[in-house]
Amino acid sequence: MNKKYRYGILFTVLVISVLLAGCVEKTGETPGEAAGEIKIGIVAPVTGGASTTGTDMWQAAVLAADEINAKGGVPVNGVNMKVKLIKGDTETSRESGVKAVTKLITVDKVDILIGGFSSGITKADQVVAAEHKVPFIITGASSPIMTRRTDIDTSYFFHHCPTTDDYPESTLLFVDDAVKPAIYTKSDFAADRPLRLGVIYQDSAYGEGVYDGIKKTIENNNLNMEIVSAEKFVMSQTDFRAVLTMIKAAKPDVVYPAAFLNEQTLIVAQGRRDVGLNTIYLSVECNDHPDYYTGVGEWGEYSIQESRFGPYANPAGAIRSNVLKFRDDFKSKWGAPPGMMGASTYEGVYIAAEAIKNANSVDKEKARASLAELEMPQIIEVMEGNTITFSSDYRESKFALYMQQLIMDEAAGETRPKIVWPESVKETDFVLPDWYEPGTGGA
Amino acid sequence: MDTGVFLLILAWGLYAGCIYILLAIGLNLIFGVMKVVNFAHGELLMIAAYATFWVYTYSEINPYLIIPVVVLLMAFLGVLIERLCFRPILGTGKLNEIFLSLGLIYVFQNLAALLWSADSRSIHSPYSGISVSIGSITLPLDYVAIIVITFIILIVFHVFMKRTTVGRAMRAASQNREAASLMGINVERMDMLSFALGSTLAAVAGSLWMISGQMVNPYMGSIPAIKAFAVIIIGGLGSIPGAIVAGLTLGIAENIVPFLMQSFVAVFGVEMSFTAWKDTIAFFILIIVLVIRPTGIFGEKGE
Repeated sequence: MNKKYRYGILFTVLVISVLLAGCVEKTGETPGEAAGEIKIGIVAPVTGGASTTGTDMWQAAVLAADEINAKGGVPVNGVNMKVKLIKGDTETSRESGVKAVTKLITVDKVDILIGGFSSGITKADQVVAAEHKVPFIITGASSPIMTRRTDIDTSYFFHHCPTTDDYPESTLLFVDDAVKPAIYTKSDFAADRPLRLGVIYQDSAYGEGVYDGIKKTIENNNLNMEIVSAEKFVMSQTDFRAVLTMIKAAKPDVVYPAAFLNEQTLIVAQGRRDVGLNTIYLSVECNDHPDYYTGVGEWGEYSIQESRFGPYANPAGAIRSNVLKFRDDFKSKWGAPPGMMGASTYEGVYIAAEAIKNANSVDKEKARASLAELEMPQIIEVMEGNTITFSSDYRESKFALYMQQLIMDEAAGETRPKIVWPESVKETDFVLPDWYEPGTGGA
Repeated sequence: MDTGVFLLILAWGLYAGCIYILLAIGLNLIFGVMKVVNFAHGELLMIAAYATFWVYTYSEINPYLIIPVVVLLMAFLGVLIERLCFRPILGTGKLNEIFLSLGLIYVFQNLAALLWSADSRSIHSPYSGISVSIGSITLPLDYVAIIVITFIILIVFHVFMKRTTVGRAMRAASQNREAASLMGINVERMDMLSFALGSTLAAVAGSLWMISGQMVNPYMGSIPAIKAFAVIIIGGLGSIPGAIVAGLTLGIAENIVPFLMQSFVAVFGVEMSFTAWKDTIAFFILIIVLVIRPTGIFGEKGE
């Protein structure tokens, strides 16, 4: 090849690289560049398998920071400090997560970390945060070990999302209260027949946590339920047909997947469309996202979605106006409605700002102490006692969870959730569809 | 053991095997003719899946009719990749080829994320609610169609390679590049054709992937590509029959083995889930084959 041609190719590659580099969003600035700023690192999987959720978290955090800054910032020592967010993309992998958090702490010198999605990834991130004693408000990783693990100092970690113990408790209490009676009436089952539960869970701290939570809930609440099949899958798996066929063979009455959004979409669609597993699918709250309703389409109809903040349904109550404003503002800024992890990350930025304001300092130890003593009104998610506060033992905030059923909305061309439980906030009753096929096991 | 469940899982394995075969044969063809390992082959599947999605979204025509359009687009892309990326560095060292194809992975992934965002997208086949009974099992029509389409493509591909002048020329270039050149075969044209054909097969795999209800996002190409690499190593580098046998074996094994293992331990009263072992099983087979036959099932020494 002649030299001219070779240099031509080299030049073209360089130009394309520069153009592509120009398209990359600026993620931070040099340390110490701007005094008078509170630097918050947003730890989220903006790329990779959980990118939908990660992007939602980042966009919600940006909205919160913009709102706080528009109101003048956070008063600290007589100076109104602006909130500056720095993106830490975990790329939905442990290795990249550790790299991102290390950079946020050592290069960007953040004052506080917010976010963390996927317990497995966040568990690895925590090691770096603990070593550098950086307060971390965890708004997306749901394993209770986040603040309960004993191999590192967890005193800097504050858990602002329900744990994997909380999801199954609300979900299975609802199943026992509303789904089971409907199935037993339709199928004429004896009241003492245990409800047959199929579980399909991600082979990760998150999935294992939900599965453990399911077993604990059944035992602690003395529920008449039997796990007839419990199958694992690897994170980001796309083909669930074989495993769903095995679950179908166990003849469950209800199937409880512990999966992320893309996985849950495929589990429900492949289960109903390909395998013919015509049952009631339950869903963990992280999937209450517009992309889930679009992706799962008509196959998601009548499935159950546990939630604390959704893009469509609103529980009645004092914070309803806050929720509607957040949703409108988010949509006008980003062009799509927010998801649940976005909601808790949005609150996470407000929590960090409030803690720093109360501490009157960005000092990490003072911010940690301030977070431990924090008591602030609920913002856009219903909290127990209507207050955001962290428990003294494991630094967990407590959410009031509700259950939704997906009903086809002809105008939207996809399903929309209706709140069916608990009684205090429900919009309509749970419906058992005509196509539902119960498991066997005796009438 | 429930025979109906066994047969159904076997069918899912057959479907997975079809996707692996289409990808692996494309990889093998490129490797056979150019002796280049294109690590970015999974990204061709991803781009084809996006192409299927966009054509379907804007035209709303039957997704099966979109396949020829996507095939043409991908053939053109394949030619571009060969001409602009691989041809200039051909023969300059294996490391150059490896790093170029690794670089292409990131370029394609980031371009896709930039152009179409990182959101996952899917389409709905018009036949998604229709099932057909085959013996004691019932399969969705789309899966039967996918398996049939794959086998038709394999037959056409076989006839093309064995019976046509161009096919024979590609085989000759694959067997001995210099001798083929001396016999008057334009090996550079064969390189271009092999990339076009390889991309075409990846295009079919990508379209069928979408039709089967799977989702596409910029990062989804890696896993099928890794499996396709396992397939060509198990089958033997450069061997088309090897890729077919290994693709089917891998697809079926990774679906059926967890079921068999579960049934086996259940005999001893042990309840254990092996379904997360899918990938482990694929690479366990790879290790066994390499230990027993380092050249792969149909591979020859020197590849």
